[in-house]
Amino acid sequence: MNPDSNPKPMVTRRQFLRNGARLTGMTGVGVLLGLVAGKSAAAGTVWQIDPQKCVRCGNCATHCVLEQSAVKCVHAFAICGYCQLCTGYFEPEPNELNTGAENCLCPTAAIKRTYVEDPYFEYNIDENLCIGCAKCVEGCNRFGNGSLFLQVRHDRCLNCNECSIARVCAGDAFRRVPAAHPYLLKTMSH
Amino acid sequence: MKTTHPPISRRDFIEKSVRGAGILAVASTAMQLETRGRSADSAANAFAYDVGSLAKTDPALLKYEEVKRFTVPGSEPRRLELGPEDKVYVATKNGVSILDRDGGPLGEVVSSSPARCLAVAADGTLYVGLRDHIEVFDAKGNSAAVWEKAGGKTWLTGLALGEHDLFAADSGNRLVLRYDRSGKLSNRVGQKNKERNVPGLIVPSPYLDVTLARDGLLRVTDPGRHRVEAYTIDGDLEFSWGKPSNAIEGFCGCCNPVALASLPNGKFVTCEKGLPRVKVYGADGTFECVVAGPESFQENAKRGSVHDLSDGTMGDLDAAVDSQGRIYVLDVVARDVRILRKKS
Repeated sequence: MNPDSNPKPMVTRRQFLRNGARLTGMTGVGVLLGLVAGKSAAAGTVWQIDPQKCVRCGNCATHCVLEQSAVKCVHAFAICGYCQLCTGYFEPEPNELNTGAENCLCPTAAIKRTYVEDPYFEYNIDENLCIGCAKCVEGCNRFGNGSLFLQVRHDRCLNCNECSIARVCAGDAFRRVPAAHPYLLKTMSH
Repeated sequence: MKTTHPPISRRDFIEKSVRGAGILAVASTAMQLETRGRSADSAANAFAYDVGSLAKTDPALLKYEEVKRFTVPGSEPRRLELGPEDKVYVATKNGVSILDRDGGPLGEVVSSSPARCLAVAADGTLYVGLRDHIEVFDAKGNSAAVWEKAGGKTWLTGLALGEHDLFAADSGNRLVLRYDRSGKLSNRVGQKNKERNVPGLIVPSPYLDVTLARDGLLRVTDPGRHRVEAYTIDGDLEFSWGKPSNAIEGFCGCCNPVALASLPNGKFVTCEKGLPRVKVYGADGTFECVVAGPESFQENAKRGSVHDLSDGTMGDLDAAVDSQGRIYVLDVVARDVRILRKKS
């Protein structure tokens, strides 16, 4: 052995454990900071449905983690024609234009029809009954002005990191929007 | 007693690793298949709005056959009209595309904003309805006049020419404006008036059309009531016909018909949206036959009636009739014109 050479100092077991603990601690702090930063970013956004992309596939009613979906039908009254024969309210071939269950499209009777003046009627959604199936939305969009559309209601939504409806959304209509502007509402210039 | 594990050879290690990887691969594939199966299940919509049975037309009712089809060159076609020598005029985003009867381009007239409706005089003078006013072009396509705006919520969707008048369907104000050929507004037809027993037009969306029939009466669509109303040019309501029904003899959906045209024999061609179909009715409103049913407009039928909320609805059909009684149908979604003649 050459006495001039500098042999590497031996690492004692104590030093090794100390260094290991330090490294683990630093890594933990990094991971913690990352998680906090990520959570802050997620807290700034919420899930919402782009009504222009929605294809009324029915998955909103069946794929939410909640027992009753957080997705509800909403109504843009400014767009509505207040029609006597509302294709969002009535079956495609109703027997009569009245509120009889056999004539109504909604499977849970969540749409309320109110007479305004001849020949206009107003249609309101009872969100406690609405299951977000979009049957009325399809009827309204196919024949009418599209004033009925689906939205994620944020008084119900759990804002899951991975929304189970978004995973199966046939129109790829789910996206995150700023929590400060949580709804994507329809407007019309006519 | 201390137990000793037998040493594992490299060969054993590799062999066990391969087995483990294989098991993992099988499990992963099974999970993938399960997820795909779930997606397939969700494709069958338990809440489907089913109008499938209405989308097929009884062949016995189809009395017309397609003889030609061509694509419209301009973007966003909305209405069509036939002019002198059966030239085809199509209102588009840029103005009006002029085509020969086979669809060959003859020219283009550029308007100041998207053209929404049009009428062509026998001398080739072109009247173009923009959103809130009318622009006039001579037969060579030169600008001849820009008429004053009618005011209010004017949204023009249909024009019809009389001998001395131009009638403009204003869906925004729910009436028909009567102008003389110089652009002077002389009357409003279809406006609610109890003294004249006019109930007023119901126009839930920007679809209102007018045509001047051979009997000298205007025919105006009343889409909210699912009927066609006949007015004198002075604005008296004479009679009406039509009923709401998805069945073939009625007008479907919440607001139809969306377009009208007169046949040389005094009958009328109607166009509907939602269930896109073109039909012929007698002068008294008796349903006669189908020109083309929903199966002829598959893309249009899929798309529904709403697809441009910023600029009104644009999911409809339009029809015009040539000098031989052939019907030209514009499919706004497919951006094509079909020529149909009566089966012999």
